[in-house]
Amino acid sequence: MIEFEKLKIVTGYEFLKHIRRKRLWIILGLTLIAELVVLILFPVLMDGYPKNVMIMAIMLTIGPAFATFGAIFFAGDAIAGEFENKTGYILFTNPVRRTTLVIGKYLACYAAVILLVIFGYVIVSISLLVIYGNIPFETLKSFGLCLLYVGGVLSVTFFFSSVSKGAMGATVITLVFIMVIFGILESVLMMADKPVWFLLSTAGDSMMYVYGGFELLLEGIVPSGSTGMMPFAFETPDIGLCAYAMVGYIIVGFVLSVWISKRRQLA
Amino acid sequence: MSETIVIEDLTKYYGKFLALDKLSLRVEEYENVGLLGPNGAGKSTTLKILCGLLKASSGTAYIGDINVAQKPEQALSRIGAIVETPEFYSFLTPVETLSYLGRLRGMQGESLRNRINEVIELVRLEEWAKVKIEKFSRGMKQRLALAQSLLHDPPVLILDEPALGLDPRGVVEFRQIIEEAGTKKTVFFASHQLTEVTQICNQVAIIDRGKLLAYDSVDELEKKYQSLEHAYLELTGGSFD
Repeated sequence: MIEFEKLKIVTGYEFLKHIRRKRLWIILGLTLIAELVVLILFPVLMDGYPKNVMIMAIMLTIGPAFATFGAIFFAGDAIAGEFENKTGYILFTNPVRRTTLVIGKYLACYAAVILLVIFGYVIVSISLLVIYGNIPFETLKSFGLCLLYVGGVLSVTFFFSSVSKGAMGATVITLVFIMVIFGILESVLMMADKPVWFLLSTAGDSMMYVYGGFELLLEGIVPSGSTGMMPFAFETPDIGLCAYAMVGYIIVGFVLSVWISKRRQLA
Repeated sequence: MSETIVIEDLTKYYGKFLALDKLSLRVEEYENVGLLGPNGAGKSTTLKILCGLLKASSGTAYIGDINVAQKPEQALSRIGAIVETPEFYSFLTPVETLSYLGRLRGMQGESLRNRINEVIELVRLEEWAKVKIEKFSRGMKQRLALAQSLLHDPPVLILDEPALGLDPRGVVEFRQIIEEAGTKKTVFFASHQLTEVTQICNQVAIIDRGKLLAYDSVDELEKKYQSLEHAYLELTGGSFD
C-alpha cells in the first residue's frame, strides 16, 4: 500500500474528528456572532454604515480573523494529544510513517479551519453585497492572505504540539507566542521605527491592510481618521513581504514539527 | 522453526536510568512466551522497542528478519499489539476505529467489513459496535484493543498486560482468545499474573532491572524451582515471608 493512500485515510479520519468535535461548531458560532456585532453595532453607534465599502470590509474581516483561532484549537492536540492521551499506543503501532501521520493531521486541520474561514468570508461578501451592492476584488486577496495566515498559525501550533507534553500546554504556548510575544515585539519595533512585516501576527493583519492600509483601518475606528493619537508612526507593511513571511512560517514550523515528531518516543 | 522475535543486547537508558541492560532473547515461531518481572523490570520498555514506540540506546530488535529500528513500517505490518492501557479516539465507534486501522493496514471493502464483524464478535462488543468510544469503560476499551490487535490476523502478537481492566469473566474470555490465537501465532506477552502466564504461555522469560534472569519452559522452571511462583520470587529477590 503506497504512503499516499495512507495519507488520504489519515486525513479523512482526522477531518472527521474535527467535524464531530464541539470546538469547530463553537468557533463557527463565535465567528457568526463577531460578524453580527459589527453589522448591528456599526450603524447604531456610528450613525449608519461607513460610506467607503473598504472600511466596512476591513471591519467585517474580524469574523474570518477570529475563525483563524480555530487553527490553534484544532492543532494544539494534534501531536501532543497522541502522547498525552495514549492514543499513540494504537496509532503508532500501525505500519504508517510518522511523517504521513503529521501531514495527514495538518491537512485535516487546514481543511477544517478553511471551512470556518470560508464561512466568515461568505458572511463578509453577502453583507457587502447587501449594504453596498458590490464586493471589492480585494476581498479575494484578503481571503488568500487569510489562508496563508491560517497555514502559518497551524505550522507554529504544530511545532509547539510536537514539543509539548500536553495539548493544553501547546495551545496556551501558541496563543501566548502569537498574541503576547509577537504583540510586544510589534510595539517595540514600531516605536523603534523598525520593520514588523516578519512577525506572524502583523503579517496576518495584511488580510485587513489589503483593503487600503492601516490609515483606512484607523478611519474605520476613529471617524476623523486621525493618527495623532498614536504614540508612534505606523507604516502599513508591504503586503508581498507579509505573504512571504507567512509562507516562511508555514514551511519552517511544519518541517520542524515533522522532524521532531519523527524522533519523539512514546515512553 | 525460525525465530520470529530476536532481541540482541538491547540496552535502553531513560536519562541516567538503565531500563534495559544488554537484554537478549529469541522467540521461535508459534511459541507463546510470557515476559515476567516486577514493576520497572523493563517489560514494557522491551515491548515498546519491538513496536517501534521507543528507540533502543544500543542493541537490535528484529521481527522475523526485519530490523525494527531500520524498517519500522515493515516490522509493524507483522505485529498486532496492545501496549500499556491504550486509548482510542472518543469520537469514533469501534466499527469506525477498526475500519480506520484496517484501512491503514491495506484492508478494504467487504473483506474488511467481515473481519471487523468477526473480531467484534470475538471480543463480545456486538452491542457496542456503533456506540462512540467516549461512553466506554476501561474493560470495553481493552476488549477493543484486543480486537484491533487481531484485526489483520498478524503472525506476531505483542501484548502488554492485556487483561488489565477486564472483569473476571472478561479475563477468562480473553485467555481463551489468546490461547486460541496462540496456536497459529507467536505470542509475546508481558504480565504480572503468573497464573495467566502459565495458562497461555509455554515459555517464560523472567527479567529484573533490565536483565534476563531466566528463559525456559514453564515445565522446566517448575521442576527446577518447585513452582513458577517460587522461580519468580527467588530470581527477583522476593520471598514468601
